[in-house]
Parts: sequence; structure tokens; C-alpha cells
Amino acid sequence: MLTTNNYPRRGESAWSWFYKIITGGLIVIILGVHFVVNHMTGSVSGGLLSWKEVVRYFQNPLVPVMEIAFVIFAVSHSLIGLRSIILDMNPSRGTVRVINWLFTIIGAVAIVYGIWLAMAIVAAGSAL
Amino acid sequence: MNETKHPSTPGNAWKWFDPRGRQPGTWGFILNRITALGLTLYLFLHLIMLGQLAQGPESYEGFLKTIHSPIFIFGEFLVIAGGFIHGLNGIRIGLNSFGIGVTYQKQLLYVVMAISILGSLYFAVKMFGLA
Repeated sequence: MLTTNNYPRRGESAWSWFYKIITGGLIVIILGVHFVVNHMTGSVSGGLLSWKEVVRYFQNPLVPVMEIAFVIFAVSHSLIGLRSIILDMNPSRGTVRVINWLFTIIGAVAIVYGIWLAMAIVAAGSAL
Repeated sequence: MNETKHPSTPGNAWKWFDPRGRQPGTWGFILNRITALGLTLYLFLHLIMLGQLAQGPESYEGFLKTIHSPIFIFGEFLVIAGGFIHGLNGIRIGLNSFGIGVTYQKQLLYVVMAISILGSLYFAVKMFGLA
């Protein structure tokens, strides 16, 4: 039965739920690779512990593609999740509108920055 | 629709974290929320800090030296523990959402927590050099 208690939150939708489930699974997979490579391969002490090692790792064309996908999934998953937490506090319509804009802008800036950073690390390879 | 007073208001937000009289599933929910907030904070700090990579070797390696201290290592340990809980609990939620293992959801939570504790212990030993 739908009451004011369990009625879906204003602004929450099946799509945002589905998006979180799918990106969540992808994040678990990419995080596994990201973590193992960054902390358990590379130099003697384990992990990519110098600037040079990170830059060299990024020269494999699959790596920036994977890292850019990772930043898109992680940033969007975290902001949509944070929005869900805020929606559970039953905010006013105006607050939801502000949150939607604010999180869209923060997400877009973070993703553009992440792409720029990955490309900058790739470009640094020419100095090696 | 009747405008009754909605029980979830910003002032009541602390009640998410009130563990009294909860079912185990709600414990999972509370843990998922706490870890979500922590991991979001980490994600954005991580992205900002890795900007050092674009500043060249001296800048990045100076940064690595700075974070090689007990406080930061403890923070990273919290990220790993939070990552285990949120990631594994997320898989449980995903499976349950598609109708898989719904009748075992409580047992799955215990499995999630057991793996998270064991995994975190492994990394605690590795990171704090307890072995």
C-alpha cells in the first residue's frame, strides 16, 4: 500500500536506481583492476610509487580509456547516490531543483577535469 | 493526497544512524549510507589530489611523501574498509533487486560483513605492518 511513508520519493525514479546498480557493478570491476595495478604491481616495494611509473602505465592506450570510464561511473554514481540520501529527507521542490542543477554542474566539472587529467598524464609520456 | 506531516525531515536525519530496534537489513542500510558519504568525500579528495600528477614529478612525489604518515594511512584504511562494505553490500542489493537471493538477504548481509572484516584485517596487517 502506498502511504506518505513508502511512496517513492519525489525526484527518485526507477532509472536512477537502475543506473546505480549498473554503474555500481562496473565500479567494482574497474576498482579491482585500478587497485591491483596501482598498489600491487610496479616497483620493488609494490605499486606505482613514482610519477614516472604512473606516466609509463598510462602509455598503454587501454589505461586512459579505463580510467576515464572509471571517473565517469564513480562521479555519477556518487552524486546520484548523494541526491538519493538528500531526497530521503523529503526536501522541498525548490531544494530538489537546486540540488539537480548543482550536482549536474559538479559532476560535469569533475568528469571534464578527470578526462583532462588522464590526457595530461598520457601527454607527459613524451617527456620520458 | 492528504498532507500529513512527513516523518522524514532534515531535522530527523540523525534517525538513520539510530541503531536501536533495527532489523539486520537496516544495519546494512545504515552502513551503506555512512560508507557512501565517506567514499564520496574520498573520491573528490582523490581526484583533486591526483591533479599533482599534472604538475610534474617533484610535485607528485612530494605529495606522496606527505601522505606517507600514520594519519593518512589510517584514512586510507577506512577507505578500504568502507569500499569492502559498500561494494559487497552493493552487490547484495543488486542481486536482491533482480530477485536473486531475496530469501537469503539476511544471510548474505552476514557473508558481506564477514568478508569485509576479513579483508579489512588483511589490509590492516599489510598497511600498519602488524605482521
